Order: sequence, then C-alpha cells, then structure tokens
Amino acid sequence: MRSHFSFGSLRSDHIAGAFFIVFGIIVFALSGDLPFGSLSSPGAGMMPKLLLVLMIVFGIALLFGAAASQPFAGIEWSDGSHALMVVVIAGIAITLYQTLGFILTMTLLVFTLLIVVERKPVLNAAAYSIGLTMIAWWVFGKALKSPLETGILGF
Amino acid sequence: MGVTLDSLWLGFSVALQPAVLWYAFLGCLVGTLVGVLPGIGPLAGISILLPITFGLNATNAIVMLAGIYYGSQYGGSTTSILLRIPGEASSVMTCIDGNAMARKGRAGAALCIAAVGSWIAGTFGVIVLTLVAPPLATIALKFGPPEYTALLVLGLVFLAYMSTTSLSRTLLMAAFGLLLGTIGIDPLSGHFRYSFDIPELGDGIGIVPVAVGLFGLGEILATPSHQVTGEVIRPKLRELWPNRQEWRDSGWPIARGTVLGFLIGIIPGSAHIISSFLSYAVEKKISKHPEEFGQGAVAGVAGPESANNAASTGAFVPMLALGIPTGPVTAVLMAALMIHGVPPGPSLVNDHPEVFWGFVASMYVGNVMLLALNLPLVGIFVHLLRIPYAYLYPLIIMFCVIGVYEVAHSIVDVWIMLIMGVVGYALKKFSFDPAPLVLGLVIAPIFEMSLRQSLIMSDGNWLIFLQRPIAFVLMIVCAGLLAMSAFSAFMARRDWRAQMAEEVKE
Repeated sequence: MRSHFSFGSLRSDHIAGAFFIVFGIIVFALSGDLPFGSLSSPGAGMMPKLLLVLMIVFGIALLFGAAASQPFAGIEWSDGSHALMVVVIAGIAITLYQTLGFILTMTLLVFTLLIVVERKPVLNAAAYSIGLTMIAWWVFGKALKSPLETGILGF
Repeated sequence: MGVTLDSLWLGFSVALQPAVLWYAFLGCLVGTLVGVLPGIGPLAGISILLPITFGLNATNAIVMLAGIYYGSQYGGSTTSILLRIPGEASSVMTCIDGNAMARKGRAGAALCIAAVGSWIAGTFGVIVLTLVAPPLATIALKFGPPEYTALLVLGLVFLAYMSTTSLSRTLLMAAFGLLLGTIGIDPLSGHFRYSFDIPELGDGIGIVPVAVGLFGLGEILATPSHQVTGEVIRPKLRELWPNRQEWRDSGWPIARGTVLGFLIGIIPGSAHIISSFLSYAVEKKISKHPEEFGQGAVAGVAGPESANNAASTGAFVPMLALGIPTGPVTAVLMAALMIHGVPPGPSLVNDHPEVFWGFVASMYVGNVMLLALNLPLVGIFVHLLRIPYAYLYPLIIMFCVIGVYEVAHSIVDVWIMLIMGVVGYALKKFSFDPAPLVLGLVIAPIFEMSLRQSLIMSDGNWLIFLQRPIAFVLMIVCAGLLAMSAFSAFMARRDWRAQMAEEVKE
C-alpha cells in the first residue's frame, strides 16, 4: 500500500500541534514530583497538570484542523539569518554584561549589530555605538540615577 | 455625585502640582515617541522605563507610566498614517485608511481626526472611569474567590471569542501563559515548581522579560532592516484642519468607537488592539459606502483611533477597582503601584485617595497635553520616522536589555527575554497571537489562588461556581460566548473575525 504522506503536504498547524503535544507530554513527565492533591485540597501540581492536559487537547485540536492552515513549506524564512545573527550577538552580550559592564557591553553590542548584521561603515558604526551608549549611560545612570552594571573594569 | 466631585477636586489638587504635571508631560511625550517609533510598543516602553520610577513617589510614578500607555495610542496613529507601518499593534487598522487619506493629500486631516477622536475618547473614558470605578470597587469588596475565578475565566473566553485567530489557538496560548505563571514557589504549599535549581526562577517568571521579549525583541527578529523602506509622507501644518465633510464623516464613528472601545477595555484581553479591529469592522458594516474602506474612508481612521484610546482608559477600571489586570500593560502598571507600597484593588480608593484621584485627574490633563503635543509637533515626529531602521533597532535592543535587567538586576531575566524573543519570532511564523500568552502569565497567580481557594471553600465541589449568583452569571456568559464561537465556526468557516484577519493581512 502506498502512503499519501509527503512533506509537501505538511501544514504549519501539523508542526505547531505536534510541538505542543510533545511539549505537554515532556513537561507532564517532569511534573512527577508535584503533588496533585485532591479537589478539596488541591496540591502544587494540580494547576500545572490541568493546564498541560489542556495544552495537549488544544494541540490535538490544531492537528485535526491543520488542513485549513498555511502549508509548512509556505512559511517565509528569509528573515531567519537576520534573526539568528541578532540572537547570537545579543546572547554574547548578555553573557558578557556582568563582566564587562554597561558601557563596554552596550558599545560592543550596537557596534557588532551595525557591522555584522547591517554592514554599515566601521567609522559610522563606531561613532554611533559610542555616542548612543554614552547618551544612554548619562540618561539612565546619571540623570535618572538608575544603577547600571559597572563590570570588572569599574565603569 | 457630590462625593465624587469632592474627590475629583482632591485629585486635581494633586494632579496640578508642578511635579505631577511634569511627570504627566514626560509620560505623554515618551508615550507619543513610543507610539511613533515602530518596533517598540507601550508595553516595552513602560517596562523599560519602570526602573527609573523607583525613585519617585507612587503618584508621580503611576502618572508617568500611564501617560506612556495612553500617549502611545496617540502616537501610533502618526506612523500608521504617514508610513503605513503601525507604530504599535492597536494602530494596525489606521494604516489602511489613514495612509490612503495621506496618499490623497489629506495626511494632515487624518492626523487631526485621529488626534481629536483620541482626545474625545480618552476624555470620555476618564469621565466614565471617574463615575464607575469607585462604586465598582465597593461592589468588588463583596467578591470572593469563586467570583474572581469566574471573572478571569470570562476574560480568557472573551479574548478567545474576540480573537482573529481560532478559539483553540487563543486558548492554547492562554494555557501556555498560565503554565509559565506556575513556575516558582507554590504560594500555598511552598513547593518549587519547574525551577530546575535556578534560584531566580523560585520567584517565578516576571511579566517584564516575557513581554519585552515577545513584543519587543520578537518584533525586531522578524523585521530585517531592508524590509522597512516605507516612504514618509510629510504633512503641512496648514493642511491639518479637516474640511466640513470630513468632520461630518468622523462624528458618529468617533462616538461609536468611544463607547465600544471603553466597553471592550473593561474586559480582560488585549482590549486596545481588539477594540480598534472591532470598531473598523462595525464602521465598514454600517457604512453606506463600504467600498470606500481601504481607499481613504474617514470613518476608518476616526472609529479605530477613538476605540483604542477609550479602551486604554477603560482598562484602568478593573485594574483600579478590582485589582485585576486586563492585559500585560495594566499588569506592569499594577506591579509599579505595588513596588511603591500601594496595592491596587477595591481598597485603593479609600486607603490611598490621593493616588487614585490624582491619577484619574492627571488623565484629564494628560489628554489635553497629548492633543497639544500631537498636532503642532507632528513635523518633529516625522523627522524621527526618518531615522533608518538599521540604526534604530540596535537602540531598541539596548533599551530592552537595560529595562529588563534594571527591574531586578537579574541576568536570568535578560536570558528569559532573549528566549521569549525567539519564542515570539516562532509564534509569528506559525500565526499565533502572543497576547493571550502574556495575559495568561499575568493572571496566573490570581487565577490559581482563587481557583484553589474556591475548591477548598466548597470541599472540592466544582458547582460552587454555579451556586453563587455573580459567579453563575459570569459562567453563563462564558458558556454563551463559547457556544456562539462554536456555532459560527460550524455554520460558516469564514466569520467576521476571519474576514478581519484577512483584511489586516492585505
């Protein structure tokens, strides 16, 4: 018997529904130590477990109604490289934030985004990132007295 | 009535103090900028600026943050009309006819109608808030856990009913948000839930990192700079005044949008967004010339713009009177009040009258300020729109990091923001609306507590929600909305919400 399944026939809600079902099952498995309690004395696990069951039910509903959703292959991913670069650069900045402090991290964050993602001229990017960070540092740190992270270099 | 006027007098004596006026002005100005700049909505704006209010007193803090909220509703229309990009989500509908008017040379008139409609709606909303909130707070003192549970369920069901996506998608997102809200120490038993030995997760996931991630960073991830190449139409000041026919065409849409927006604003959900969608649909439905919609219909600007402003004011009613956030923005405002030792809710009017009435009075003043800000300064805002997006979004990312980190000085919060940015991007790709997720997260603690207390009270009997009159009525309304939703899905696959979603996509 030939199967009629092909990846071309996959719809976005097939993926979304399957994701939420698997997610619900995994988190349910992780919730084993949370007591459900009883209806007259609900435990810490009652609410999360009820919600997980609901998520799985709605995930199944998505699967059943998936035919009406857009084809999975039709989802536009042309912005994916932009998104990935921004996430990686922001992730590195977050990792360094408490070590390098506000001024250095933010200058590098803005500079790297402008150079790597936007391909702007180095001088423009440097001037903009330094100027912007110093203005933000003055506004938040000095004028509004918000305690900004100083880092190991002391600024 | 006399008591209300006396209280309002007290409010104005607070709101007209120079410091309060200054913070109201600052809030309105920042709100307008937040609304004008694409990619940064009121929620991100308020969240980012929340830490700077820590040094202020409660009145100044809430006046400034609320100014950002309703100011952004004014500012959002400018970008929609001149650039055809919604400055913030509730201005999506204004893009359609506002920009079409601008292309016909009526940009000034569209901006003026949007500003005047917003002012009328905002002022009407504050008047009703003045009259409704105090008596509602008195009634709310009689609410017990079953009533609160039923009210929150109604909010979720109403959001699902009004949503342009399907019922199951909306409820799935709400369940996901509620689940995120259960992370941390269980307040009743002290159990750690899903904290994975990360101490910061013991306090739960904050609203600010989730909201900024989903709505701020998520938007930036999905918007590469080469896609933002809109042409800014620059209106001339002398063209700002609409002609007689335009005034006539905008009168009733403003009135309808105002009432509709306020009523929707009271109910939990993304009221200001839903209200503008619904107002547009209503105006198109009852118009004698529906074919003009999309081609520059005045009603397509006047109705939605009035509705989103009225809704943003209406959202303050349950926040101030019941202590229930109607959405993420009011949840952050509530958090701001609590940080300053002022718990919002039924006791706010009596325990902190200067904060309550000062806040209400400042909104009258703020609406006048916004009208004065938005029309004469439109030229300056147009210049702001000319900043290339490639230079703008790194600035927004920087603000997102500062805003999230400064709330609790927690780097875990900033990681949560980044993860939520990726989640927001993925949700967008799969056509999910993240608003119910945030609403679920916001109401999760109140919802879980009231549900469990109700069950304990009734010795595990679910019928408690049908045995108490107020809860019963609320549950009946829920059942009605669910039935109507199921019926419309069964009878016609393309009902009015689906059509609206199509129009937005177009």
